[in-house]
Amino acid sequence: MKRFKTTKGLIGIVLLLVILLVAILGPMVIPPDAATAMDMRARRAPPSLTHFFGTDQLGRDMFYRVILGTRTSLEIAVSAVVMSIVLGLPLGLISGYLGGLIDNVLMRLVDTLLAFPALLLALTISAVLGPNIQNTIIAIGVAFTPYLARIIRGEALRVAQMPYVEAARSSGTTDIMIMWRHVLPNIMPAVIVQSTISLAFAILAEAGLSFLGLGTQPPAASWGLMIQASRDQLDIAPWTALVPGMAVALTVLGLNMFGDVLRDILDPRAK
Amino acid sequence: MRALCGARVLSLGVLHMAYVLNRLLSVILTLFLITLVTFAVTNILPGDVAMMIMGTQSNPEALAGLRQSLGLNDPLLVQYGHWVGGMVTGDWGTSLIFKKPIIELLGQKALASAIIVIMSMTIALALAVPLGVWAAVHRDKWQDTVSSSSALMGVSLPDFFWGILMILVFARWLGWFPSSGFVDPSVDFWATLRHAFLPSFALGLGLMAHLTRMTRSTMTGILSQEFIRVARAKGLAERTVIWRYALANAIGPVITIAGLQIGYLFGSIIVMESLFGYTGMGWLTYQALLNRDLPLIQYTVVFIAAVVMLTNLAVDLLYVVIDPRIRLG
Repeated sequence: MKRFKTTKGLIGIVLLLVILLVAILGPMVIPPDAATAMDMRARRAPPSLTHFFGTDQLGRDMFYRVILGTRTSLEIAVSAVVMSIVLGLPLGLISGYLGGLIDNVLMRLVDTLLAFPALLLALTISAVLGPNIQNTIIAIGVAFTPYLARIIRGEALRVAQMPYVEAARSSGTTDIMIMWRHVLPNIMPAVIVQSTISLAFAILAEAGLSFLGLGTQPPAASWGLMIQASRDQLDIAPWTALVPGMAVALTVLGLNMFGDVLRDILDPRAK
Repeated sequence: MRALCGARVLSLGVLHMAYVLNRLLSVILTLFLITLVTFAVTNILPGDVAMMIMGTQSNPEALAGLRQSLGLNDPLLVQYGHWVGGMVTGDWGTSLIFKKPIIELLGQKALASAIIVIMSMTIALALAVPLGVWAAVHRDKWQDTVSSSSALMGVSLPDFFWGILMILVFARWLGWFPSSGFVDPSVDFWATLRHAFLPSFALGLGLMAHLTRMTRSTMTGILSQEFIRVARAKGLAERTVIWRYALANAIGPVITIAGLQIGYLFGSIIVMESLFGYTGMGWLTYQALLNRDLPLIQYTVVFIAAVVMLTNLAVDLLYVVIDPRIRLG
């Protein structure tokens, strides 16, 4: 099992590095408009040497589109998770450290938000604001905030009871200073682990939103959007669903594997 | 001695009462907050409900009149008051796209979704519990690796992708199940189950990963305990030790996780029901969102959140019932 874990971590890291490289370098390396050029004579062409992953309903090369989609999907997921940290970290930190009435009120609100399924909340926000890339980020970011706030609050509560915090307090350090100097650094491992796992969920959420037409909009290339387009041509061109599906799967798999190992290293109490 | 026992039962009864009462109050408060959050989120909507009802070509005076009669010119707080007032008295208004009373629509669709939710949770548990037990019994062997890997696969693919694969394989190629639609159980119950199976199976695969992990980790903990060694020393069959003794003690946390996943499940049914054209709550919510049918959006969102909250409460209470060691507080 130990070996399995090391292997798992290694596979995860390699997967993530490859995906990151594709997202950053991919769009620069591929020929310009390779992903958008339509070839009406080669619509829904099966994978071949000219089109590694085949072509879609408009004769666009799936290989290039998946590369382009990698950047879109990753950009949205990372931005959304950063947003949920920016919102959730102060919320959880203040709630867990200060406790009392503030904690009660904030956590009541967070618990209420947790009753809304994250995807439902994200879909509603996106539909209300009007679906586009920016609003997809906002929708996912807001929907993930209560989960992050809950976990950070628990960690902050634990750290707030540590002797070193007590010592800092009795020597007259202000609450803000204690939160910044002592609590925040000590909850960071949990935040990092949670962010990795949230990233995996954000990738899935973006795919789900775009799949339902309430996320990224055409002509942008995103994995969810590509899967949506494949729905009507499953019989004749199954690769149009399988290729972006595998892209999502590998990314989420990489993040999950990496997250698991990260948790074992950074957060040994959580088993 | 008997008096002492009586006192204990009595105090336990009072404790239960206080606990239940406390939970009930918190449920009412949370329901209120759910309506508040829903109202807040849906009222950042830049669109105009009156224009949605009458269309963009309607004349401005008629629009103004409709706005007045719908109370859209009132302050937000007054609008919220009217909305919650209607909710409490059962006047839930009419859907803009379906032109039907919302209360009627929700009633019809809730049943369809209940079938899918129960079916997918059953499938998830039926797969996850044996897989988790198997992994725990053969800890650190190849079986464990197989179990963890398949659990990882389950969470890594989006559930709608599983859905697409199911349609492709079981509906299109093999033709074993219908690929879309919903049949009312009063018409043909067997057909209902057949239509619900593929979406439920796809959802179940997404759910099982966490359940498998939870089963494995609690079973591992239980199997190393003293009473298991005693049971084995007594000469009980290994099967009895594992399934009757160990699993009975390990199932609690698994059920808690299953309960917590209800929320996730209600998010996923929106995608899955839309994919399978299965006309339940998820499908209804999607139609409302897609067509910006504001009154219907508000009610479906409140309804789903309320169901999720109440299910979590039910799981909490169930947990107290099945595990007598739980402290009430």
